[in-house]
Amino acid sequence: MSFLMDNLPIFLIAIPLLMAPITILTKGSPGLQKVIDIVVGFGLLCLSALLITTVWKHGIIAYDVGEFGKYGIVIVADLLGAGMVVLNCLIGFLGLVYSYDYIEDKSLNQTYHSLYNLMLAGINGIFLTGDIFNMFVFFEIMLLSSAALIVSNENSKVTKISDKMEATMKYLVLNILGGNVMLIAVTSLYASIGSLNMADITLKIRVLAEAGAVPWHLYAVGLLFIIVFGGKAAMFPLHYWLPDVHPTAPSPISAMLSGVIIKIGAYGILRVLFMMFAPFQAVYGPVILFMALVTLGLGATSAIGQTDVKRMLAYSSVSQIGYVFLGFGMAAMANAAGEAEAATLILGASVVYLINHALAKSMLFLTSGGIIHTAETRDMRQMGGMVSKAPMMGVAFLVGAMSIGGVPPMGGFISKFLLFDAGLRSQFYMPIGIALIFAVFTLFYMFRGWMLIFWGERDPQYGEYSHHKLSPLIVAPVLILAAIVLILGLYPEPVVQLSQTIANQIIDPQPYIDAVMVRVIR
Amino acid sequence: MNNFFLELTIALLFGIGTFLVLRRDMMKIIIGFGIISHAINLYIVGGGVFSDGTLVPILEHEQAIEGLGQGLIYNDNLAAGILGPITTTPYTEFVDPLVQALVLTAIVIGLATTAFVLTLCYRINEEYGTIDVQELRRLRE
Repeated sequence: MSFLMDNLPIFLIAIPLLMAPITILTKGSPGLQKVIDIVVGFGLLCLSALLITTVWKHGIIAYDVGEFGKYGIVIVADLLGAGMVVLNCLIGFLGLVYSYDYIEDKSLNQTYHSLYNLMLAGINGIFLTGDIFNMFVFFEIMLLSSAALIVSNENSKVTKISDKMEATMKYLVLNILGGNVMLIAVTSLYASIGSLNMADITLKIRVLAEAGAVPWHLYAVGLLFIIVFGGKAAMFPLHYWLPDVHPTAPSPISAMLSGVIIKIGAYGILRVLFMMFAPFQAVYGPVILFMALVTLGLGATSAIGQTDVKRMLAYSSVSQIGYVFLGFGMAAMANAAGEAEAATLILGASVVYLINHALAKSMLFLTSGGIIHTAETRDMRQMGGMVSKAPMMGVAFLVGAMSIGGVPPMGGFISKFLLFDAGLRSQFYMPIGIALIFAVFTLFYMFRGWMLIFWGERDPQYGEYSHHKLSPLIVAPVLILAAIVLILGLYPEPVVQLSQTIANQIIDPQPYIDAVMVRVIR
Repeated sequence: MNNFFLELTIALLFGIGTFLVLRRDMMKIIIGFGIISHAINLYIVGGGVFSDGTLVPILEHEQAIEGLGQGLIYNDNLAAGILGPITTTPYTEFVDPLVQALVLTAIVIGLATTAFVLTLCYRINEEYGTIDVQELRRLRE
């Protein structure tokens, strides 16, 4: 037991990494492969829950890989990282369960499981690593495995393989460019600071800023990081890949992409803007705020006109990530103005927003998979009256639509309320006003989608709905996520408290630095 | 003078890579990415050359003890302006070993992504019969 507890953070990366070859080796017996995978997926979920409770009770865990101290790779589990890992393991596990009846057997039994595990390992690694170059490596692991997963086939042949390949090409080209830019930024940072450890970089940049001796090119390096993470999170000028890629991916992968992978960008911005480049917040804050406003407006207006259900949800993701970034921008500006408390409040609210959006949007994408399975098309105009055919999907979609639209008693209401309240307290009247207008847009397009799909009658010219009943493996993950969204709306205190603590740790990274730097070499 | 030629090479490679990435042919885009990644590899290796010799990350045992305390990892001397590790005596004979490790990792990752993109490009060619980016967009729906 103590062996497990001592090495807890590395297990969350090592186990899925090890599972990738194991699932390849058991390719011959698909039943065994599925059982192993689901047991390990559930085990990972338990381990991540154990990790976050340990971090909550005993503070930040820093774990050396190798014995080179801060010059080697350090794995750090602070509350932000551990919380994101829990989110990833939860959505990843439910997506895996969902995949069994959704993905075509031929794809599923070949490489799907090992790629899925590689993706989980990459994402966990990004959230847990304390080393900026190591983060790049995990980025690439995540990128390649997710790109290969996007091309895998569903049972329902709604999306053409050629569409998928074209979208994957777009995704890959943009993300390879992003990876190259990140490499340039990391190298420039290393050449001027002399360290790759994030805690070390934070400390050194702070000391340099206090001495007034920051080299000017560090501002450019920070902007490069914002471009990289903004590209991952689909921030305004780099958002155009998302509405092509998320709809063409199979639904469980769309849920992972929209639920977790675009949150990696938000996570990176939190680490870069609020920890490493904290003294430059006055410069970056307005940039992020402006881009966030454009992003949320653009996403919401584009989502209104969509007829493809998954494309609408994808544009909605663009819009919602804009709200998260709006919180980041406001917090950076408040922090730069010296109001650390207000900044903590806003940042906590945007972390709540991030968690709620991850759960609600992955649930909606899983639901859209069920809808497509029943209707055998992605066009919402060719649907209608599905509430009698797939009532569970109707309930889940309504819960998701209410949460994204910000209707009480769902989790989305709490997050929007907290964000706007915290923003108004710090007198960001203009940005909050714009965000409120587009919140009305959000409400409109989500309910338009729900009414088009579930109300009315289906036009007979589009044929009958599929007579297959949805399998319990498709319905169960959707309902579990819907229940979580509802619970987070009715009893949000634990999540709000967790998010405020996370925000405290980010605004004042001293505990993080202490945990990483002041340690005895084993 | 050597540095100047290194910088010129990196800049030229970046330029050629960017030019290729902006072409319409998908193969040329992929080759462009290859060239850009080589430019970045050169850039990383170039970052390991020091002029003042204060940035060699080799942990020497005695100096770790002389630092802020025995066994502590944190032993930079910020007051003296030593941002990396440890040695103050100028070493001009060798370069930073860490960047070499970084560049190896970057090369391997570049290989994997290039292989994947090439396979994808081949499949797109099979599916559409063309790898012209603009024609692909017209074919779409």
